[in-house]
Amino acid sequence: MKRSRIPFFTTLAVLVFFYLPLVILSVNSFNDSRYGGPWNGFTVRWYVRLFQDRQIWHALQNTLIIASTATLVSMVVGTMAAFALNRYRTRLQMVHYGMIYSPLIVPDILMGMSLLLFFVALNVKLGLVTIFLAHVTFCISYVAMVVLSRLQDFDFSLMEAAQDLGAGHWTAFRRVMLPLIMPGIAAGGLLAFTLSLDDFVITFFVSGPGSTTLPIHIYSMMKHGAPAVINALSVILLLVTFVLVSASRTMREKIQ
Amino acid sequence: MTTLSKKKKHEGLITGPSFFWLLIFFIIPTLIVFAIAFKPATPFGGIGEGWTLGTLFDLRNPNYPAIIWRTVWLSLVSTVVCLLLAVPCGYCIARAPKRLRDVLLLLVIVPFWTNFLIRIFAWKVLLHPEGMLKQALVFLHLCSPDATLLYNPFTVLLVIIYTYLPFAILPVYAAAEKFDYSLIEAARDLGASQFRAFTRIFLPGISRGVWTALLMVFIPALGSYVIPDIVGGPGSEMIGNKIAQRTFVDRNLPHASALSALLTLAVMVPLMITLVNHYRQPVVQRKGKGAAQ
Amino acid sequence: MSDFLVFEGVSKHYGDIRAVDSVSFSVNKGEIFSLLGPSGCGKTTLLRCCAGFEDPDAGRIILDGRDITGLPPHERKVNTVFQNYALFPHLTIRENIAFGPRMARWTKGEIDKEVSRMLELIQMEDYAGRKVTEISGGQKQRVAIARALINRPQVLLLDEPLAALDLKLRQRMLVDLDAIHDEVGITFVYVTHDQGEAMGISDRIAAMNRGRIEQIGSPAEIYEAPRSSFVAAFIGDTNFFDGTVTGVLDGSYCRLKIEGFPDVLAWNDKGLQTGNAVHLSLRPEKFKISREKPDEASSLNVVQGTVEDVIYLGSHTKYWVRVDDYRLGVNQQHRHYLLDTRPIIWGETVWLSWFADDSCMLERYKAEDENLLVLPDMEEESVPE
Repeated sequence: MKRSRIPFFTTLAVLVFFYLPLVILSVNSFNDSRYGGPWNGFTVRWYVRLFQDRQIWHALQNTLIIASTATLVSMVVGTMAAFALNRYRTRLQMVHYGMIYSPLIVPDILMGMSLLLFFVALNVKLGLVTIFLAHVTFCISYVAMVVLSRLQDFDFSLMEAAQDLGAGHWTAFRRVMLPLIMPGIAAGGLLAFTLSLDDFVITFFVSGPGSTTLPIHIYSMMKHGAPAVINALSVILLLVTFVLVSASRTMREKIQ
Repeated sequence: MTTLSKKKKHEGLITGPSFFWLLIFFIIPTLIVFAIAFKPATPFGGIGEGWTLGTLFDLRNPNYPAIIWRTVWLSLVSTVVCLLLAVPCGYCIARAPKRLRDVLLLLVIVPFWTNFLIRIFAWKVLLHPEGMLKQALVFLHLCSPDATLLYNPFTVLLVIIYTYLPFAILPVYAAAEKFDYSLIEAARDLGASQFRAFTRIFLPGISRGVWTALLMVFIPALGSYVIPDIVGGPGSEMIGNKIAQRTFVDRNLPHASALSALLTLAVMVPLMITLVNHYRQPVVQRKGKGAAQ
Repeated sequence: MSDFLVFEGVSKHYGDIRAVDSVSFSVNKGEIFSLLGPSGCGKTTLLRCCAGFEDPDAGRIILDGRDITGLPPHERKVNTVFQNYALFPHLTIRENIAFGPRMARWTKGEIDKEVSRMLELIQMEDYAGRKVTEISGGQKQRVAIARALINRPQVLLLDEPLAALDLKLRQRMLVDLDAIHDEVGITFVYVTHDQGEAMGISDRIAAMNRGRIEQIGSPAEIYEAPRSSFVAAFIGDTNFFDGTVTGVLDGSYCRLKIEGFPDVLAWNDKGLQTGNAVHLSLRPEKFKISREKPDEASSLNVVQGTVEDVIYLGSHTKYWVRVDDYRLGVNQQHRHYLLDTRPIIWGETVWLSWFADDSCMLERYKAEDENLLVLPDMEEESVPE
């Protein structure tokens, strides 16, 4: 039976579509021309300028502070939520599930807008704290979902086996369940961390003066000139993404 | 009696933190949006006293129907295009030999994890009036030197598709990977053409993945704001831009609230359908990077 | 020692479903005791009550004179071999086996010594450092047994331990299990839906149905003298007759009237009187099938019928013979070289004969149990109770 070649060529075209802009962007980051028009010769001066830009370093620092704290808090809260959702089948959990699920699907702009109004109504000063609160809010849902899917694969007879072999509730949890769920919690944390690093829209709504994060800084650079520097920054972020994704994939293969 | 109340206590203890966090920072703010939509605005960018329907009447401003209509058609068309591309891609990746599949999957996942501002900006570079693509097209006499590739609704459409296509491919792939391909052989054996086997057997078989893909594109597309802001022009604004403009430029929060409330209602319908569908078998949605992890 | 493990009126309900309905029995020290029944009969629930994973709604469980009802699992001198093994995937084979002793805080030297002894018992010394995912199903099974046994439980509970293995491996493991039992001498309580496993390994079997025990006895007692239509039909194959006693004879026999048959003689161990209704069970291999009418003999029942179906199975042939309203299953062993004879074929008129002692009177009969005979192999246990 001959298989259609349409899917193959579509995939090929889609991959070209995905990578063509990124490749051009990368090439342009070495182009000695401000607007990336015709090739003006090779340069690394955009990279040099990038590393000299103190604002970028400051924004990166803010971003990392928020991402790491938001990740920690959302890992704890999200994991507890996942346990609750997995363990109980009550009416409360149905409502709880709806609350966990909705932030995943509501467009960012609505979440940003509603949080802005909330903080304005309460007269809270916008800044790193409000960004942190907003990030924890959406990260909880992602962590909870990832851990929940891991918990659903968990074989609860292992807990019974541990208790049967003399372990109390807590020991069974610590010695058997936690080590097996840990990759799920770690994956949830990694996801939360990346989402927090990446988030622009929600952060934009709830940030105040002096709380510029990296995506907000990139956005203002995009709006107000300096495109060649963004090219350089993009290439670096692309490389970091690529390394992280490949590393997490190989790590996962090793675990399995 | 103690076992029952102990169980309740435990449930409350582990449900509490996320429940109250989301109640305070998600549910209440959403309700506030609806409340403020009925408040008057003050000239200084604040929220006035009392209640009014005036803000809602302002939505009859002749600009809005055009913007709402544009938002809807851009979202619909980009969803359809994404699905048309995602189904063959998901199929191709799922059926590829193990090593090729891993490579293809990685190539789809990397854009998925890449900062989306950068992915949007890459198009701005590519389509820039002095950019390489434009010059190549002019050189090949495919477009005139005066034509602008940027700042029109079609650019916005293109970039929305570009941004959300990975979110469509991954759920379709996840479903296609679990599909039993002997069913297609059975259908061919029973006289179905390749096309009919595809539409009658394969598509229904991966319907769950397609449905997820649809929501993953359609809902965020409805809320697009950054894409039209960066690659669109004045003629390609969407609701998201209006919300941001009312918030940051005009500082008319009631007006922005009214628009947000409208968008929330629009999103609510597909959201409720998925909630009912997914409560039994939850999967990670939208950005769904967990699924890809 | 009898009454080592005693269940006293144990009941367990799930909502309106009575999983276990006031069950009482006792297990002797050192025996292999099987709970045998179809899926949903309550056998796994009983086992889980004994292990401490479920608390019975009523009744007591007494182990070696001590009431263990309500104790948490880790405080019972009872260990379980789980249906899907439940080996810890993040630990090695050695660590899995050492889990119980570590919980009990044995000294390191003691743990090492005992784990090695257990690895030797299950012949897996070479696999000690491997992960659970790197060994086969049969090996997992043996590790699960060693992991339970190392704790020197007073009772070892086995929950469908062979269900996940294929047929040949199952037979092999049955032999191994028996050998391990001989070696350690611990009481085994064995839950299964497979009558072959239960018959092969048990000292005694409790046949369960719908949350109740139908009969307890040695495998031969259960097979040869089933008390209810359920036991007769679930364990092995059988034929049911219903009739009326028309006369009581000397030597505890009676004469029965069965529709479509001449007078039938049956062993009257239930002390029935003339006029009583009776249900009989007769195993297919108790029949003799022949073309010629067999010679008269005392206590031999003879009836004529027509062969409707024949299945040749090598060691024996299975016939279905029509006698009036009855369609009787008949197994004929081939003790001689079959090609030298002219086999009975479809459509022939034949004589069936059996001795009065070979039928068994049932105390309880339910018509629905005949369904077990129609589809004997459909009762695959797939959903754990």
